[in-house]
Amino acid sequence: MIDVHNLSKSFGDNLVLDGITTRIQKGEVVVIIGPSGSGKSTFLRCLNLLELPSGGSVLFDGTDITNPKTDINAIRRKMGMVFQHFNLFPNMTVERNITLAPVQTGLMKQHEADEKAMALLRRVGLADRADSYPSQLSGGQKQRIAIVRALCMDPEVLLFDEPTSALDPEMVGEVLDVMKDLARDGMTMVVVTHEMGFAREVGSRVLFMDGGKILEENEPQAFFANPREERTRSFLSKVL
Amino acid sequence: MRLNLAQWYAEMGQRLLNGQPLGFWQGVGYDFYQSFLDGARWKLYVQGLGTTLLITILALILGVVFGVVVAVVRTMHDQQRPGRRRNPVLGAVNTVFEAYTTIIRGTPMMVQLLIMGFVIFKTSRNTTMVAALSFGINSGAYVAEIIRGGLMSVDPGQMEAGRSLGLNYVKTMRFIVVPQAIKNILPALGNEFITLLKDTSIVTVIGGRDITKVAMLIQSKTYGGFMSLFGVAVVYLAMVMLFSWLMSRLERRLRQSDRRS
Repeated sequence: MIDVHNLSKSFGDNLVLDGITTRIQKGEVVVIIGPSGSGKSTFLRCLNLLELPSGGSVLFDGTDITNPKTDINAIRRKMGMVFQHFNLFPNMTVERNITLAPVQTGLMKQHEADEKAMALLRRVGLADRADSYPSQLSGGQKQRIAIVRALCMDPEVLLFDEPTSALDPEMVGEVLDVMKDLARDGMTMVVVTHEMGFAREVGSRVLFMDGGKILEENEPQAFFANPREERTRSFLSKVL
Repeated sequence: MRLNLAQWYAEMGQRLLNGQPLGFWQGVGYDFYQSFLDGARWKLYVQGLGTTLLITILALILGVVFGVVVAVVRTMHDQQRPGRRRNPVLGAVNTVFEAYTTIIRGTPMMVQLLIMGFVIFKTSRNTTMVAALSFGINSGAYVAEIIRGGLMSVDPGQMEAGRSLGLNYVKTMRFIVVPQAIKNILPALGNEFITLLKDTSIVTVIGGRDITKVAMLIQSKTYGGFMSLFGVAVVYLAMVMLFSWLMSRLERRLRQSDRRS
């Protein structure tokens, strides 16, 4: 579904991604872990071109998204993104946050989007907050709404950029539960996170990044039980 | 009643001519009548106020139009992606607009007005339109910076969230960034409007007959500026207070989404 080939990204002289090659299959839950500054978030943001790669290619369903001629808006409609700081639109109600994009991109009529939004809100247990504004919600609620907002576009893949890092510890669980639920339904997900428990339980593959490279990748049981690289071992010993 | 007042005024005038002093309240009343009512002078003030408001409103519209165009072009230029080929037309226009803001903000309003009135449009007798254009151009530079600041004050994550949902740049701006920016810039924009309203009084230097000029004319006829100048000051103050009140109501409405629980 997503083919990444020799992807590199530098900010000025600072090389953040150094030749990343990987493939994300339909239905996979790929969990990316690694120390801060290792390029995890940059990698994720290159997948939907929020960052413009300096080199290499990203193919989504066979289309090279780094090609300037590609309609990136059409690609992004199929790739939802959930941010660390939620980035809900504070000037709109929850319902309008969710329905704005599907309606404005012509995907749905307003009433269809409204119905879908309500169905999704019920699924994450927030149907009663449809008319609230983001400032009236807790962090965990905001992030669940942000996930619903991305889901309402019927994306083929969801990108999560440290979705629980800005949350109070108490609220991490409710967001992870929603993500687990999505994974069980077969949603393709790429998740940058520090939640090792989530990686172990839900991930179908774990990527360990350091210094802009993928140092090690494996299925979670093997990854956590027998890390091959010394760097991976020292990282895991600190976080586990 | 009116006739009586006129008679009373003539009587007082006669007493002054005869060298008889007036009582305090008589003096106040005489000055008031002389400055506002004698020869229906209040009509001059009303005409002057009309000119002031006309200049202000035209300049405001021009200023907002110029300001929005300049701010949008400059923001679009600054938000071009590093790494991608830059749009040369946008670059050129941006340079022109940057020069515009620098020059307009770097020279006094009065000098700009004199240049417009006595150099660029020296053959034009329509001082009102010349003034409206000058003030509009001037205001545009300030409004542009206010709007640009407002657009930049919106969290970049908002743009990213909009774009990540597949909305294009224009729609993200229209539905997400601009509404939030407007709320942020409203106080500064209101301030700019108040400054503009009061600054129009310098249109007198190119011969515009605004309300300040009327006060000056009447002062030079009556040899007493107390009533006419204070009267005009009160008119300006009343307009600014009314406007401030309207703005605060608008702001309160826009703050609706900030309320908690």
